[in-house]
Order: sequence, then structure tokens, then C-alpha cells
Amino acid sequence: MQYALVIYEDEALYGEENTPAWREIFAQHEAFAGELAQKGVLRGGAGLKPTATATTVRRAAGQCSLHDGPYAESKEQLGGFYVIEAPDLDAALAWARKLPMQGDGSVEVRPIIDGTT
Amino acid sequence: MGRSLLDQAARAHGGRVIAALAAKFRDLDLAEEAFAEACLNAAQAWPKDGEPRDPAAWLYSVAQRRALDMLRRRGVRTRLVPDPPPQPPSAEDVMVDDARLIPDERLRLIFVCCHPAVAPDARAALTLRLVCGLSTQEIARAFLVPEPTLAQRLVRAKRKIAQAGIAFEVPGPEAWPERIGAVLSTLEIAYAKAHEDAAGAGQHAGYAQEMLDLTAVLTDLLPDEPECLAFAALVRYAEARRPARLDDTGAMTPLSEQDPALWRRPLIVDAEKLLRRAAGRQRPGPRQLQAAIHAAWCARADLDEPPPWPTVLALYDALLRWRDDAVVRLNRAVAVAEVSGPALALAEVDWLDSTAFRDFGPFHAVRADLLARLGRSGEALEAYDRALALGPAPAERLWLERRRGEAVVRTPLS
Repeated sequence: MQYALVIYEDEALYGEENTPAWREIFAQHEAFAGELAQKGVLRGGAGLKPTATATTVRRAAGQCSLHDGPYAESKEQLGGFYVIEAPDLDAALAWARKLPMQGDGSVEVRPIIDGTT
Repeated sequence: MGRSLLDQAARAHGGRVIAALAAKFRDLDLAEEAFAEACLNAAQAWPKDGEPRDPAAWLYSVAQRRALDMLRRRGVRTRLVPDPPPQPPSAEDVMVDDARLIPDERLRLIFVCCHPAVAPDARAALTLRLVCGLSTQEIARAFLVPEPTLAQRLVRAKRKIAQAGIAFEVPGPEAWPERIGAVLSTLEIAYAKAHEDAAGAGQHAGYAQEMLDLTAVLTDLLPDEPECLAFAALVRYAEARRPARLDDTGAMTPLSEQDPALWRRPLIVDAEKLLRRAAGRQRPGPRQLQAAIHAAWCARADLDEPPPWPTVLALYDALLRWRDDAVVRLNRAVAVAEVSGPALALAEVDWLDSTAFRDFGPFHAVRADLLARLGRSGEALEAYDRALALGPAPAERLWLERRRGEAVVRTPLS
């Protein structure tokens, strides 16, 4: 099965892009992704730029409207995700526990729709 | 005759058969449906052909065949080929007479039902449904929720298990601290439901037996987990007292008034062994203290011996360090009343958050008793009425009504 590990963290902890602190965090993710790849379970993923760069398209009653900012304003923001291959939920949860986090935050583990059925 | 025998067989073996099917086919819904179909077949076949020598093996073998049929139908439906005709149970199905051929997969099923990824309010219900074979209606009644609500909770939980890819496995030791906690908490809730039911005379008495079996399976698998051993001990202590929980009128008999001569000694002996094994691991925990409270009571030889209230109070004090919740404090207050008097106990009870207890019958019953003992009869009657208004089980109602009557007698000129 494939699972998405969706990361919610306080994006302020990452600081500005390409500062030494940011590069240190990026290196942690590279190492984690490297371990996933080495175990042959990495299927995809991406890190997202800060929510200040987000634009949301809202659709209500057939009408679309644009909004500056993320879908939901909260203490923690969606910052990125990994897609991994795992035999079952517990295996995916084990990877989620190992995922580098900068402070308090959450990793949501969601199975991915299998396009073959 | 077929009907009642079938009900008995379904209740007694359902958990084991469904667990074995679920382990084999990795599909809870399929397992449940196949078992239900096997029961339907049994309802037709048994009255006609006579009951099988081994109902469990019969049900398992037929359900397995039904499950394969269903899988085949599912498979062909997607390939748009007509269904093959259903196969009647073969002679072989009817001949099987050895339930030992059914692998005991209940433990795996328990770990699935109690996975932390399953909503906590669904875990106990799912365990009772799949492992203990209770009907949705019975579980809904036990949890005081409408049946459709509970049914939906079960559907959602099963869907989560299937779609999230929860493995049908007993987890490895590295995961036990987290997973065993979830299993024990779930079984505790399930057992509490079994135990509060009409003091054991009611329809849930059957799954109390199931709890004895399940905890035995758990301790076999996890012989070094002290909390697991302690929970198995607790169930045995509590079950040992079952014959003494009702008096001749059908009213509940409080623990301190139960005649120890009626208690089942062999279960107490088993419980003591388990609790000693738990203590030997030198890793204390809340369930060991709870079992120790039961042990203190079950050590009483007869009614002439004074009740062990001081020991019980000391154990509750220790338990508070693990579980400082309102129910533990309420139980502790009952011991405080016996050791230090009702005034102090009432002060402690009134210190508890009464809004959280508004709909909790035992809270009002304990308050009523303390108020009555302090001569505050008017308030006592009010508290008894609140407890009675919350719809207690029949045995408890009889007991509360009797106590209320005694409080009325004590009310001067009212």
C-alpha cells in the first residue's frame, strides 16, 4: 500500500529560505528521504513554500473565488508530504515517527487511493 | 430446538470462528457476513438433520465455504460473468467434528479491534461485536447509545481498519507498551459492561465467560506483562464473586455484605496465582493495584471477619497516583466513610466535579448513603431519587429502593 505522510508544523520554525537554520532542516529531510529511498519505499513527496505564498481557490455554489493565504489558518501549517510504500499502517506509522520535526507538530498518515481497483 | 442451540453456538463460538475467518481472508466484513450466512444455513439444516456433534466446527467449515463463494462472486462481478450457483454444504462440512482444527486467532482480532488508529469509542464496541459475538442491539444498550448510532460507529471503524491497512497481526514487542495499553483499556470497558449488567444474572453473563477465556489467551501470549496478568486476575476475582452478587429478592448485595462462602474458590486461587506472578515482575501499575483491591476483599473468609476497609483505602490512595480520576476518587470516598466516617467522605465527594457526575448513578447513590448516615434525610432522599431516575439495572434499582425506604423511616415527622 502507499501512504502519504502529511506534515503539519509551525512554519516559523523553518525561518527564511536558504538561511543556515533552514539549510540544516533541509539536510535533515534529505537524510530522511535518503533513508526512505535506500529502503526502496520512497514514492514521492514535496516540501511546500510558506503559507504566505499560498493562494486558495474557493468554490461555493458553482462560483469560484480567490483568497490570499492557505485553506485553513491555524497554529500549525501544512508544510509538505512524503509518499511511501508500506505493507500496512503500522509500518507507515513507524516511518511517520522517524520523520524529522522541528518542534511540536503532527504527521497525518493517509492511505493513497490505489488507481488499479 | 434448533434456534436456541444455534444462538448458544453462535454466542459461544462466534468470536473464535469470526477471528479465524478474518485472519484467513483479511476482511472483517467478509468474516462477519460469512458467519451470519453459516448461521442461517444452520437454522435450516440443524432442525432437519439433527444438530452436528461439533457446532463450532460445522459453522466454521460452512462459513469458510460461504466466504469463498462471496469472494468468487465479487471477483466475477467485476469481470461481468454470471454468478456460479451456490454450493450446498457438502457431506464433509457436516462430518467435521473437531473444533481444534479452527485456529484460535482471537488475539489477533483483539489487537485489530483495539488498534490506537481505531476511534476509542468504537474499540470496545467492535471487540464486543466481533470477539464476544454480542448483537449491535445489546452493545447499544450497554453503552446507552441509540442502535443506529452504534451501528454506524461499527461500520466506520471497520472501514477504517480495511482502508487504512491495519495489519491483522499481533504487534512485535517494540510496540507492546502502546498497543497493550489500548487492548487492556478496551477490555476493561468491555468487562465493566459485562459486570454491571444485572449483577451477572442477565444476558451478558455469557460474555463474562468469554472475558475469562480472552484474558487467559492474553496471558499465554504475554506471560511477562504484569498489567496483563493483573487484569486477568481482576476478572477472575470479580467473576468469583458473581454467585454472591444478588440476594434472594434479586437485589444487588454490596461487596461488604456478600457471603464469602458463596464465592467460587477455584477462580480466587487462579487470580491469586496471576497476581503473584504480576508482582514478581516488579513493575507496578494501576491494574495491579485494582486487582489488589479485589484480592483484599476476596481474602475475607466469612462475614464475621471485619471488612478490609483500611487496606482498601490504602490501595486506593496508591491507585490515585496512577489514575487520578473522578471514579477512583468516588470509590475511595466509600472506603473513607468506613475508615474515617461519613462526614469526611461527604466532604471529599462534594469536592468532586458534580457536573461531570450529573448522569452517573453511582455518584448519587454514594452521596445519598453518606447523607443518610449523617442524618440529612431530606437531601439523602433527593439523591436517591436522582440515582433512581437515571435508570439503574434492576438489581441496583431494588437495592436503591430499599435504601431509600430505610432513609424515609429515619426522616423525623416527614
